Amino acid sequence: MEILVYIEVKEGELVQGSLEALAAAKELGNATALVAGDADAAAKAAVYGAPVVCAKVDAANPDAILGAVEAVCKAKNADAVFFAGTQWGKDLAPRLASRAKTGCITDVTGMEKDGDAILYTRPAFGGTVIEKMKNHGALQVCTIRSGSYSKPEAGAPASIEECDPGEADIRVKVLEAAKEITEAVNLEGADIIVSGGRGMGSKEDFQLVVELAKVLGATVGASRPAIEDGWISRAHQVGQSGKIVAPKLYIACGISGAMQHISGAIGSKYIVAINKDPDASIFSVADLGLVGDAKQIIPLLIEEIKKRK
Amino acid sequence: MEILIFVKQVPDDGIEVHLDPAAGTPDTAKIDKIANAFDTYALELAARYVEANGGNVTVAAIGPDGTDSMLKNLIAVGAKKAYLFKDPSFEQGDEASTANRLAQLVKKCEAENGAPYDLILCGKESTDEISGQVGARLAEELSLPFVSSVIEITPDGDKLIAKQETDEGYIKFETAMPAVYTIAKPGYDPRYPNIKAKMAARKAVIPTFSAADAGVSEAPCYVECVSYTEPPKREAGLKIQEKEVADTVAKAMEILIKDKVL
Ligand SMILES: Cc1cc2nc3c(=O)[nH]c(=O)nc-3n(C[C@H](O)[C@H](O)[C@H](O)COP(=O)(O)OP(=O)(O)OC[C@H]3O[C@@H](n4cnc5c(N)ncnc54)[C@H](O)[C@@H]3O)c2cc1C
Repeated sequence: MEILVYIEVKEGELVQGSLEALAAAKELGNATALVAGDADAAAKAAVYGAPVVCAKVDAANPDAILGAVEAVCKAKNADAVFFAGTQWGKDLAPRLASRAKTGCITDVTGMEKDGDAILYTRPAFGGTVIEKMKNHGALQVCTIRSGSYSKPEAGAPASIEECDPGEADIRVKVLEAAKEITEAVNLEGADIIVSGGRGMGSKEDFQLVVELAKVLGATVGASRPAIEDGWISRAHQVGQSGKIVAPKLYIACGISGAMQHISGAIGSKYIVAINKDPDASIFSVADLGLVGDAKQIIPLLIEEIKKRK
Repeated sequence: MEILIFVKQVPDDGIEVHLDPAAGTPDTAKIDKIANAFDTYALELAARYVEANGGNVTVAAIGPDGTDSMLKNLIAVGAKKAYLFKDPSFEQGDEASTANRLAQLVKKCEAENGAPYDLILCGKESTDEISGQVGARLAEELSLPFVSSVIEITPDGDKLIAKQETDEGYIKFETAMPAVYTIAKPGYDPRYPNIKAKMAARKAVIPTFSAADAGVSEAPCYVECVSYTEPPKREAGLKIQEKEVADTVAKAMEILIKDKVL
């Protein structure tokens, strides 16, 4: 099986999700990595052992990238094309599938060979249901959900081939790409996450969550209301519209446990919940629950943890 | 500007969906059906756009009986017209089938509307299957410009500027019209209907069309769901609630150390 993997590049770095997709491809067949535009990034991709095709296109324009993936897919006679489960991946995959007259599977968490076919596993309904899917189309197209594979081992660099994919059908013009969030928030790779929700009450008291995270060496997470109220930036959102996380320890403070939040944190090894409502649904998934006012509990917790250091 | 929004009716996403033990398929029969959240964000964004710049908003849905009351609710919160497409053949299929049918339905909607659409919107994903494919595939079916996760649209002569939300900030795209955009959550919530709008909407008659009425031919389908399972359940652990907060914290610390998480 010949599998093409589109490797996304952000500010010169390969996107983690793309490397996970590359790992999935290497497990299943012969992987080829496709990098748009950037020769340095192509060299970085080559160390993961799969041959690299570097397509000379405008990597800022999704239509140009789609054209390149389509052209390389045809030229290489690929049986499958994998994308990262990022926003770009999720835009490109169904568009490619539509052009190739085939199906597409979103948010794949596992794959197995079933004869010549691939049997895909993916969550639906916020993760309470797991689906096994088959794509009867000729070309297999999917996006890999972040955190489902570990990135491949680096080794001796593979070959790099330059390619000119020709004219693409350009329908959008990029006017401006702005960076509003400058902090790097690595929720996906975090060992410990301390998250705060609407129950923290105010921007000032949300700082308790930040402080607890600091003493634990943890990354700060948040529910959607905490972000919409401007207590912390969007980069910290955990859940369906945020990041899917799987730390060893997840501490949820003043978070009710709505499915759209919990579906992003259910992969955590150990969940601690702090909530003043003893019937909050977060307690039904928590390994340890503290019933009470988070604004009183967190300062004491910080003190206790500091004492033991 | 004429805006068309395709809306999906989904089980209330505040309720957990589990499998029907006998059938082994998702059991959504007893769950209230609502308009997909992202589609309601699209409607609010469109309603604000036409309030500021002029135009009309049409909502259209493929769905079974009951979908008409969802469409009526949408008329109360900014939609001017609504069309329902109902056919047994519409109940089967994958994202490719849906996008193909929607692409075919645009023509019927335009004929009913008496004017072509300048902009077609979908929610960025539906809250049931969460595959986020239909808008993107629809754009391809129609060979139109596509921008996803849009949170703001501004007119610019005969073009549109779509602001796409990204992990780090935003990207502004310029596209010709017509175009297909999918909508993420802007910084505001959908409006609530006032009583007058509610009353008027209740009286609205939703034109309903079968596949034959709408001239929809058979749609392709590629993906098959082979089986459904439920993931292993997380057991609820210990819940501590002492009279004194200090005691709750002390007990919790003891357990966290015993469980070797700290
Ligand atoms: C399409 C869609 C996508 C969504 N995506 C996401 C997503 O990605 N991430 C996300 O988080 N949400 C998402 N949501 C929103 C989600 O449905 C919930 O509304 C949200 O997660 C609730 O956040 P919360 O728990 O902070 O607030 P609430 O539900 O309001 O809960 C607050 C909790 O704090 C407790 N509390 C109050 N005061 C205190 C106190 N002093 N001490 C301790 N506890 C206290 C309360 O008992 C309550 O349980 C999405 C919704 C939709 C429709």
